[in-house]
Amino acid sequence: MKTRYSPRSYIELWSWLFAALTLFVLLAGAVLLLKDSVLVWKHEGTEILTGKEWFYRSETFGAAAMIYGTLIVAVLALLIAAPLGIGAAICTVEYLPARWRMVIKTMIEMLAGIPSVVYGLLGILILRNWIYQLFEDFEILSGDTLLTAGILLGVMILPTVMTLADDALSGVARAQRIAARGLGLNATDTIFSVSLPQALPGLIAALLLALGRAMGETIAVFLVIGRQDNQWPGELFSLRPLVESGQTLSSKLGGAEINIAYGQPLHWSAMVGLSFLLLLLVVGLTLLGLWIREHSKHTSYDK
Amino acid sequence: MTNREKSHTKNPSKSDSKSRRKRRLIHELMRLFTGFCVLLSCCLLLGIVSFIVIRGLGALSVDFLTGVMAEVGASGGILYQLLGTLLLLLTAAVVVIPLALGCALVQSVFLTREAHRRNITLVLYLLNGVPSIVFGIVGMIVFVQWFGWGKSWLAGGILLGLMILPTVCVTLIERIQAVPKKYIEAARGLGLSRAQTIRSVILPQSIGGLFTGLLLGLARAAGETAPIMFTATIFSGATLPSGVKESPVLSLPYHIFILAQDSYDPATKAKLWGSALVLIFLVFLLSLLALPARLRIHEEANHL
Amino acid sequence: MKRTTVFLNIFLNVFLSSLLVLLLHSCGDAPSQQGQVLKINGSTTVNLAVAEAAEVMRQQTGKTIHVDTQGGSSGGISMLGEGLVHLGMSSKPLTQKDREAFPQCDFHQIHIGDDAVALIVSKDIWQAGVRSITKREMQAIYEGRIKNWQKLGGPDQRIAFFNKEPGRGTWEVFAKWLYGSIDAVPQVSFPEVGGNEETRNKVASTRGALSQLSSSWADSKTVFPLSIENDAGEIIRASAENIASYRYPMSRPLYLLSDGEPQGDVKEFVSFMFSDKGQNLVRKHGYLALADLSK
Repeated sequence: MKTRYSPRSYIELWSWLFAALTLFVLLAGAVLLLKDSVLVWKHEGTEILTGKEWFYRSETFGAAAMIYGTLIVAVLALLIAAPLGIGAAICTVEYLPARWRMVIKTMIEMLAGIPSVVYGLLGILILRNWIYQLFEDFEILSGDTLLTAGILLGVMILPTVMTLADDALSGVARAQRIAARGLGLNATDTIFSVSLPQALPGLIAALLLALGRAMGETIAVFLVIGRQDNQWPGELFSLRPLVESGQTLSSKLGGAEINIAYGQPLHWSAMVGLSFLLLLLVVGLTLLGLWIREHSKHTSYDK
Repeated sequence: MTNREKSHTKNPSKSDSKSRRKRRLIHELMRLFTGFCVLLSCCLLLGIVSFIVIRGLGALSVDFLTGVMAEVGASGGILYQLLGTLLLLLTAAVVVIPLALGCALVQSVFLTREAHRRNITLVLYLLNGVPSIVFGIVGMIVFVQWFGWGKSWLAGGILLGLMILPTVCVTLIERIQAVPKKYIEAARGLGLSRAQTIRSVILPQSIGGLFTGLLLGLARAAGETAPIMFTATIFSGATLPSGVKESPVLSLPYHIFILAQDSYDPATKAKLWGSALVLIFLVFLLSLLALPARLRIHEEANHL
Repeated sequence: MKRTTVFLNIFLNVFLSSLLVLLLHSCGDAPSQQGQVLKINGSTTVNLAVAEAAEVMRQQTGKTIHVDTQGGSSGGISMLGEGLVHLGMSSKPLTQKDREAFPQCDFHQIHIGDDAVALIVSKDIWQAGVRSITKREMQAIYEGRIKNWQKLGGPDQRIAFFNKEPGRGTWEVFAKWLYGSIDAVPQVSFPEVGGNEETRNKVASTRGALSQLSSSWADSKTVFPLSIENDAGEIIRASAENIASYRYPMSRPLYLLSDGEPQGDVKEFVSFMFSDKGQNLVRKHGYLALADLSK
């Protein structure tokens, strides 16, 4: 009975302490990024978003081409990973017996465990040569292209897409599925009339979260993208830039320039500014994905 | 197979036979397509793994694991790269355990308002999305610049620990929420305080989730290069650290990263694949260790 | 059940106290630490010989020697300048600007061997008969005015020029040869390459490729070094004699950099690099040892 008078037990105290510590560390990290990049925001203003030129020696810091590269590579990755991942998830959830589902799920999650530096190694020694030979007719300059990076990333985020799609699909109420089958629909009809419509928001959220992951990948992309600055495409909707080299926010940050920037206030703040932009992009996507998922949960409860 | 048989048992009248055929066609096409997806995904995994095994197996030996790198990677082993990676993982585990316990208990026990709980989950998801290179940059600002640590194993461990916090924490939260309500009610009914309930019921029931999450998180941390390359690891010469400041370690991912860009001697390449194989083996080992516990969760979920 | 509780309590206490100890520790014993460890950072080109020399030194003396290649030559210069390492490695001579950037550091250049920057091409270009290049042609390629090998007497093939990352000694030597000073180099964007193996691998596997590379890596099997045609029309190969006599225009000394006269461990390491063993390591990795230069 005595404990009733002291609700603040040690365990509670510690818990709050560590939770607060976590929050503090995260906030501090974000604030630091902002603080260390103030110089470049002042120097460039919105130019850093719209400027197509990045020449650190003349202190021109425009990240538009890198943002373009980041988006294109991530979207390419998604175009590969989305059909494959969702297809595989449909197969494991709807067609295969539960035992098989666990085996395949485990295998694909293993794919997620392969470190990005190993993917990079595979990319630099194998994939870029394949791409080079495959697109020979287009007179591509080398195997280091946005497409190479996109394909490599697609394989890398496949497990993320598959796992999250699996969660979304298996979250569809079993009762509804059984009811649909009871009405005489076969497994495929059930997928199109019940599972997919219900799981759609979850699937979209899965894709957005995977997109966020793709944008942040550094090492593998770094080794195969060519790291060519200022590759703003002449025409926005041409496919040509895909088989040219490019640069993403993360490949820029992983490169040698960060060491040159170290100790030079404006250049350094520009690099930190890039990581802040990257953070904003990814956080934005994650928030959107979570919002859609959360939103869908409520509607599905209503039904 | 069973699915097809089932779909045949309830057949509509014959006037629908055309649409039935169409439906069956779609059904078969779907099965084919999704089956192909599964097959391709699995082939990708097997292809990649077997490729690395084939290339790397030749380099693998006891000497490779216990030897020190020699001739700039062309001969010798990867002892300190391996030990360095293990030390980083251990540090990350030590850092993440209290943080994950704290966050998970606050989220699932101490917070009573649903909105607050959801905010914590949101923060965890956001943290999970933060690109690893951003951890590296922040780490460089904090540890290298502010604290003046130079490159230090502790900085790398802390960064990796924070990076895997969401994985560990979410797994733990799931397990805590899976503790049957009646246990908790019974404990409260017996007059146990909240703290006592946590100690005697909730934690013993869910501590497995902490270790499962930890193994999964560490599997991810083991292969990360970006957060540690500016903050914790160097190319050669470091052994085991004896302090914090200016005490870098070697690590497998950075070793591979550097040698993939700079290796004069062709003999280095074989060693390089060997290192990649060891790294993958380490990662798979960690996630396989977590497997039994995870399968049990899924089985339970299916039975409920 | 109780065991878990005890375990947790012990764990938390141990964790927090060790954290405290570590923090205090990190402030406390740092200076004594630094005396024992010899830290070297810089050029990936110099790294090969130095890292292997460090291996030998470690075995002989039992000393701890850290070698890293963060940021290439300019990383070596800036980290030495800021007092983060004891020795820098550089594959280019120091400029006035480098010295001005770190006024607190008394840079000493220690010449340990020689190398050159070669302009390398892929096999198809070499076999098509392109064997030399002039400074003017290289400038035109660098500024994007020449984009096809035809202009250089080669096949009808686009020039895939891979530029070395800025900050690399190789790039600075190249830039200085081409434009006289680094500030005069026009701002261009090409695909970039970092390490030497990465460069060699990418050039070897790309048709019509051209890049700058340390000449010792230009093996004439996968990648081929072009000769330089000077203004007088002489064609100068990147041969050992031409590099040693500095007739080849992009010859470059390889340096260790120290802050002030080398002393203690630094001196020991430097004298090892000058010894026969150390110089043999320089040779082993394809560079010219000091003895080869005086010939």
